[in-house]
Amino acid sequence: MRPALALLALAAVALAVLGVDYGLSQLAFVATWAVAGLGLVIILGQSGQISLGHGAFLAVGAYVQAGWVALGAPPLLGLGLALAAGALLGGLASLPGRRLGGLAFGMSTLAVALIVEEALVRFDGLTGGASGLSVPPLVVAGWTASDPLAQCAVSAAVLALALLACRRLRDSRLGRAWRAVRDDEVAAAASGIDTGAVKLRAFAVGGALGALAGALYAHWLGYLSPEQFGLPLSFELLMLAFVGGASRLMGAVWGAVVIVALPQAIALVREALPAGVANLAGLELLGFGLVLVAVVLWRPAGLAR
Amino acid sequence: MIGQILLSGLATGCIYGLVALSFVLVYKATEAVSFMQGELLMVGAFAAVLLSAAAGWPAWVAVLASVLLLALAGALIERLALRRAMGQPHLTAVLLTFGLGLVLRGAVTTVPEATHRAHLLSLPGLGGQVAWGDMVASGAQLGVIAATLLSCAALAAFFRYTRVGLALRACSENPRIASMMGVSVPAMHTLAWALGAALAALAGSLMAPVTFVHPGMGVVALKAFPAAVIGGMHSLPGALAGGVFIGVLEALAGRYLPEGVNHVAAYALMLVALLCFPRGLFGGRAA
Repeated sequence: MRPALALLALAAVALAVLGVDYGLSQLAFVATWAVAGLGLVIILGQSGQISLGHGAFLAVGAYVQAGWVALGAPPLLGLGLALAAGALLGGLASLPGRRLGGLAFGMSTLAVALIVEEALVRFDGLTGGASGLSVPPLVVAGWTASDPLAQCAVSAAVLALALLACRRLRDSRLGRAWRAVRDDEVAAAASGIDTGAVKLRAFAVGGALGALAGALYAHWLGYLSPEQFGLPLSFELLMLAFVGGASRLMGAVWGAVVIVALPQAIALVREALPAGVANLAGLELLGFGLVLVAVVLWRPAGLAR
Repeated sequence: MIGQILLSGLATGCIYGLVALSFVLVYKATEAVSFMQGELLMVGAFAAVLLSAAAGWPAWVAVLASVLLLALAGALIERLALRRAMGQPHLTAVLLTFGLGLVLRGAVTTVPEATHRAHLLSLPGLGGQVAWGDMVASGAQLGVIAATLLSCAALAAFFRYTRVGLALRACSENPRIASMMGVSVPAMHTLAWALGAALAALAGSLMAPVTFVHPGMGVVALKAFPAAVIGGMHSLPGALAGGVFIGVLEALAGRYLPEGVNHVAAYALMLVALLCFPRGLFGGRAA
């Protein structure tokens, strides 16, 4: 109960400080990032694998949803399709994990993500290529989620469902198998666990959640281009999971709060500095880097504990 | 024509190879996967530009000074931050180095002078062209290849003929036994980071006459991962060969295959290498 109350208090503070409309749109982003982060927490914290290319799952979800909506098909069905596409890519990305362990497997996910990013630029007939693609607002049964309140409500509902589903998975036989593989892969295999299949399911769940978040993100932002989903996004998500603490599901939510709040804080710092001293792009990189380094050095288990 | 393509691929590949070399050097000695080699490369190039353009030093002296400066910076970063990530899971070092890379890139980007105009470092003696039959080699390309060969020879001599080089090799092979033989393992880690940063800075300075010096130039280091993987992650000659291989492959793919293939060729090859040859195409010894 306490985390829920703390989150509500935090949301109230955000609305009071940022104003209702802007605050709500930021909260929608927090919930969306948290869904994506939840997928990474499953891969990282539960099954103990490294995914260096999580941005690719968001990209697939976003582009599947955009393409589906562009066909004039119902968006809600598109979310399901995006989910399936993400699970499929996740399953594919996990295949090298049958032969490789640890770092080498992480490197293979990096390669998959870089290939997906390049494919998005090249198949410009479908994706709009480097010049981008615009996405209409989400329409559910005749009701258009175009204002920040509706976006926030949809994201929060999806996040709640995702949290519930992940909690059930965590407490299931599969969840125990994930943790067994995380703690000792050889011992898990000796206990009759099919480690390849277990990793595949972790990546399928992680990829599906990432794609779901990507599909929502496409609607909230209204514009897609391949470079949004590159290596920086993958590492931002890793940072989200690490800062929040990958050992617990709620870590994804706290990490998402930090990731969305950080640029706001940096913008405030910049306003305090004299004009022309520093540009925003550099300050943002600097701020993200400093926070990441500080957390890794001083709170290696994440903030939420 | 084919010779021309091979030559330009070779020159690019030498840059990849140098960065991969710096990556593998650090990885072998400290088990840390560095995601900041590209940023070290960028800072090295900027240091060379700053020293030669702003301070008025001769270009080659500036390059040498920037390499030494980055070696010092690498040692300092290891002492202050990276040492604390020792013995932790791989992801800790990955995130820590990525974060430090963001700090470096952010610090350079916040300086308006660094982003507002393009910088170019011209190294004297590499301006002209050499014609050989119907092949034309630019001085910059030959300079990159020569400098790579020279630095690799120096590195090989260091590892083979000096006590410190032997100690570093021993430490990479088995830190516990090395420390029993009186090698200071922490000092070797510092040395590995200093060498790694110096090699990255050298690669940056060699890139500077060809491409513009800008805060995003570190992305070239992404090609160091495939190069290192193809070389088997544990072999220094393998990393260099992997870099050259990828450079040549990209040049050939850029000429003969549809557009875009050259961008993904390295990563696709990395996937294949990881799956089929986990110890590298050039078959390094088993760990």
